[in-house]
Amino acid sequence: MLWIAIHLPLLSLESFAATLSLDAAAQPLALIDAQAILAVNAPARALGVKPGFKRATALALAPQLTLGLADLVRDAQALTAVAHAALAFTPMVVIQPDDPPHTVLLEVQASLRYFGGLPALQLRLKDALAPLGHRLHIVSASTPLGAALLARVQPDLDCADQAATNRALARAPVWLLGPGRAHWEALQGMGLHTIDDLKRVPRDGLARRFGPVVLDELDRATGARPDPREPVTLPPTFDSRLELFARADTTEQLMHGAAVLLARLVAWLSAQHAFVRRFTLVMEHEKRSRHDAPGSGITTLEVALAEPSRDSAHLLVLLRERLSQLQLPAPTLDLRLHAEDIARRAAPNTELFPTPAAEHEGLTRLIERLQARLGREQVQRLVPVRDHRPEHATAWRTADAQMRPARPRATEQATSHEGANAAHLVRPVWLLQKPEPLPERDVAGERGLWCEGQPLLLLSGPERIESGWWDFEAVARDYYIAQLPGGALVWIFRERVPAAGANLSWFLQGRFG
Amino acid sequence: MPTGFEALDAQLPGAGWPRRALTELLLPHPGVGEIRLVAPSLAATQRAGRLVMLFDPPTTLSAGALAHLGFAVEDLLVINTRNRARIQGAAGTDSLWALEQALKSGHVGAVLAWLPPRLRAERLRRLQLAAQAHDGPAFVLCEMSAAQRPTAAPLRLALRASGADALAVRVLKRRGPMLEAPLQLTLPPVLSAVAQQRAKAGVAPADAAVYAPAKQAASLRAVTLVNLAIG
Repeated sequence: MLWIAIHLPLLSLESFAATLSLDAAAQPLALIDAQAILAVNAPARALGVKPGFKRATALALAPQLTLGLADLVRDAQALTAVAHAALAFTPMVVIQPDDPPHTVLLEVQASLRYFGGLPALQLRLKDALAPLGHRLHIVSASTPLGAALLARVQPDLDCADQAATNRALARAPVWLLGPGRAHWEALQGMGLHTIDDLKRVPRDGLARRFGPVVLDELDRATGARPDPREPVTLPPTFDSRLELFARADTTEQLMHGAAVLLARLVAWLSAQHAFVRRFTLVMEHEKRSRHDAPGSGITTLEVALAEPSRDSAHLLVLLRERLSQLQLPAPTLDLRLHAEDIARRAAPNTELFPTPAAEHEGLTRLIERLQARLGREQVQRLVPVRDHRPEHATAWRTADAQMRPARPRATEQATSHEGANAAHLVRPVWLLQKPEPLPERDVAGERGLWCEGQPLLLLSGPERIESGWWDFEAVARDYYIAQLPGGALVWIFRERVPAAGANLSWFLQGRFG
Repeated sequence: MPTGFEALDAQLPGAGWPRRALTELLLPHPGVGEIRLVAPSLAATQRAGRLVMLFDPPTTLSAGALAHLGFAVEDLLVINTRNRARIQGAAGTDSLWALEQALKSGHVGAVLAWLPPRLRAERLRRLQLAAQAHDGPAFVLCEMSAAQRPTAAPLRLALRASGADALAVRVLKRRGPMLEAPLQLTLPPVLSAVAQQRAKAGVAPADAAVYAPAKQAASLRAVTLVNLAIG
């Protein structure tokens, strides 16, 4: 048995920083409880603020210090995300039931071979946990309790077997043992400083003085007594909440919190080797008045993906583009990310050289990105329609992000379409959205057609198009190809039945591009 | 990337459209034959199984005409930001952003983009930088007056119609020596042989400086009469 303990010494402070905007999180921060400073971040430490100070002392040293309260629910959610990320490496993941819990335990003996040894596994574990943004103590030992205890005092330690674990534990301070902390002063008075000292004193005396719990814990840490654990289970749907410390007025200020929630979503997805198809970001707004209905101040943003993904960078880009489009009715107080629509499948291969599959995935992401920013209806596809009227012969469809370029079937269809359109039925590439009337003018006694101040020369025609009586847009037109003096060709028509009250009967329909 | 026109291939460095670089085409107005000029290379890109994207075409495209030019019409992806720009009042920024994303991704086979008018030179330089990741031709179409400003694109051509189904291409900038005379390209014909004869007879030769409207109008009347007789 080989257990890895991931201890998060600054969990409460980091989960507090996640509720701030990105630049506010880089300012001096401190966690406070009952007028005493519990933990500080690096900028605050640089100003001289240390844990254990009184609140007034800290504020005198650093007036700009942001003070926050520890929140057990918030910490538990952050720790759950760490446990989810760890589930990608082994099914046996346990949250060490301390008070409050700060440690996640993994049993990795069976995973070592797959990941290529303990150092490689620890490296991958650190990579997987990096997006969650926590300071980590990672210790491996042969018992779960031993690893958890050692992780509290050692940032980085590997004990290969039981003997090494016991040696490391023997040097550890005695207050690490849970009940020992309550009797810390008594133990000090007895001259018992390390766990080794504790092991040297007679066991029955120890049990009589401090109860059987100290001995029980000591035995479980050293492997003398079995220590069965119940692994954490993955919830079937993802739901994580973040209450913002300061209200966010702009969507840009939401991005830090949203990024934290997305990192948790990716951890939940990687635990079950799944990809998300759609997720929902729910933003709860400040109430404008106390008469507002409870559900009124909520904005729901649903992001649907064409290609299921768990790439946090890609998800974040999509969310950023969608958020930047959004007008929020009021400042946001609370963020919630929800996901249940997931796709389980094998991870994509990583390749050195570009392949068609990689290109297809890249295109899908490109189209998704364009759709997220421009809106779905701006990304279009042309569809030919069998209609003789030129205005109706082309339809627009919104493009599907999954479209594959140049399917063989489509090219065949295009050629058959070309065959059906006999070669002499030429159509211009450019069509005017609304036919433009062409004036007839007399120049030097001759009557001629003019377009943009230039005379037109009719070259071929007429081609009669008379159709569409069934949808009340009947046309009866004679089409000609005409030439501008420069040589450019245009497509013009004459109404066979001029509209009532209009004396113009010639119109410009398109240009040959 | 061969252009599909031998006379043009002979004059372009690398004997075809450049890859990983912008090709700037200057037009007096849409409809001089620009689509027929780029169609062979874009259709070849589609046959190779890659995506062709169009950005902000100036008016409606006709699917039938594109299919006639060899395009797989349903596989063209058209990004249309004009409607949006009209609502939001920021013309062109979305289009340039989308074009830059497409070029940078490196997964698109070819792009054909109509740029907003009076584009600043540094915007074009940014696109040229993005195009270095784009393995395929990238055409940007600008108005004729853009010839006055410097360009970051290594190839710049000015297009002008020169008679029916003919295109005059002036090479304004290329890697290599200057080219004085414009190239005359024969485009895939729109007109039938008879109509082409008519065009040759009716239009003044390209070198004649003065245009004779009376002659033109006379032929117009003649043609109209013939047509009415048939109709």
